[in-house]
Amino acid sequence: MSGLEAYCGEITDKLNCGILLLDVDFKLVMWNQFLEVHANKKLTEISGQSIFSIFPELPQRWFERKVASVVQLGTPSFCSWEQRHHLFELPHTRPITTGSEFMAQNCTFSPIKKNNITEYICILIEDVTDVCYYQSMLKKAMNDLALSNRIDGLTQIFNRKHWEDCLAQEFARAHRYDHKLSLIMFDLDHFKLLNDNYGHQGGDQVLIELAKNVTSMLRLGDVFGRYGGEEFAIILPETDINGASELAGRLQKSINQANIVFQKNCIKTSVSIGVAELDKTDNHYESLISKADVALYKAKSSGRNQFCVSE
Amino acid sequence: MPFSLDEDQLDCLQELINVAMGQASDQLARYLDTFVFLKVPNIELVNAQEFSKSLTSNNQSTAVVSQGFFGYEGIRGEALLVYQHKDSNHIADLLGYDPDELSDEEQLIDISSILTTTFLNVFASQIENQLSYNAPKLLTSEQDSMSEYLDHLSFSWDIALKVNITYQVTDYSFNCDMILLIPESAIIDIKTVIDRILEAL
Repeated sequence: MSGLEAYCGEITDKLNCGILLLDVDFKLVMWNQFLEVHANKKLTEISGQSIFSIFPELPQRWFERKVASVVQLGTPSFCSWEQRHHLFELPHTRPITTGSEFMAQNCTFSPIKKNNITEYICILIEDVTDVCYYQSMLKKAMNDLALSNRIDGLTQIFNRKHWEDCLAQEFARAHRYDHKLSLIMFDLDHFKLLNDNYGHQGGDQVLIELAKNVTSMLRLGDVFGRYGGEEFAIILPETDINGASELAGRLQKSINQANIVFQKNCIKTSVSIGVAELDKTDNHYESLISKADVALYKAKSSGRNQFCVSE
Repeated sequence: MPFSLDEDQLDCLQELINVAMGQASDQLARYLDTFVFLKVPNIELVNAQEFSKSLTSNNQSTAVVSQGFFGYEGIRGEALLVYQHKDSNHIADLLGYDPDELSDEEQLIDISSILTTTFLNVFASQIENQLSYNAPKLLTSEQDSMSEYLDHLSFSWDIALKVNITYQVTDYSFNCDMILLIPESAIIDIKTVIDRILEAL
């Protein structure tokens, strides 16, 4: 074994991670080639200097307390990029593709003991810039995916599934705390005719503009979704039937007054609206939907371009 | 039952843990400058499914920090530090940090690592072993991800030896549970170690 120990220095120099040895007074005792290269300082010139003068960026108070736990308890201590992106400001090999100027690091502080007394602290510095980069890409992809799972591709408002999940939640909350909750469902009048006259692109354009128009008239807590082809629905938390009817009236008027321009044509549209409020007999959110739906069909059969309130 | 411990083995393990708890509590009190009380441990065999259920059925605000450990003679396992409330301002104070110096997550991870490694280091020296540790990791407190995580623990297991120790830091009214899980194959190894200690008595 004694013959092989001579190679230890060479082996640590070949490692693709930093090894740094401190004494208990925070003075640098040695480091390996990885750190010599990345910090771009010669060990012979700086050994014996305080770690805080070599790396002035270190949070000194935190670092001292961290090392104290290692020395006093004789246990290792860790510092992950997930909580602290880096300790040492070292360059890395992917400055172009990653956002960060410095190498993301996982650091391990280990006690080096003699006769059970900690004499040195060994700090292992792993370059995890790649891990950090891919993790952030993954996070972004997951967020995008979660969003696209909730959004209707054409109108960019909530899709049916997410809207219904929201209704289930709002229903449960209103039921539990005896809060008010109303629902508006509306249907674009003569949508088939629109498609026949202007083509499906024209119909799509109307749906997009309609969704934009309605969105601009809602409060922050209202939940607007596309329920089906040309059917839409709005959850109105903390709103009674009077508030909901007032909004239904404004929606009906605004949509009827809007001019939607498509291929130099000016398209006029209208909607039929059903309004319902939660009451004590509603044991499930579906019953609120069917009440609004019944009111909506009443509005349709009464000649469209109007709103009806559930009885 | 190849994994169950007989009465002598259980007594011996209990004794080893008691001694380790005493020393760990002493060291922690000196480092943290406050009294740390470790409750009498609960040792039992658990199966993976039941354990997963018992952990996830707790309230949702629970935070769990996991840290793997491994030593000579096949001794290995995973320590889970389970927090009921996240009273993290207390943790920074307790650790002697300024709350601005580190995030809530880092505080939880730091205190977990200190509690785990201090206890296990003393325990390891009791059985003339030395342990190494993985970096501690904060598991998200959402139920789904928790049970998913437990299904993919760093070892695959059906049955594990579970040691549960409750830490109380009275000055800071701070509580947490340390759950050591020792997987099947390592139970056999720990029984070998215990038998050797029993023979030497």
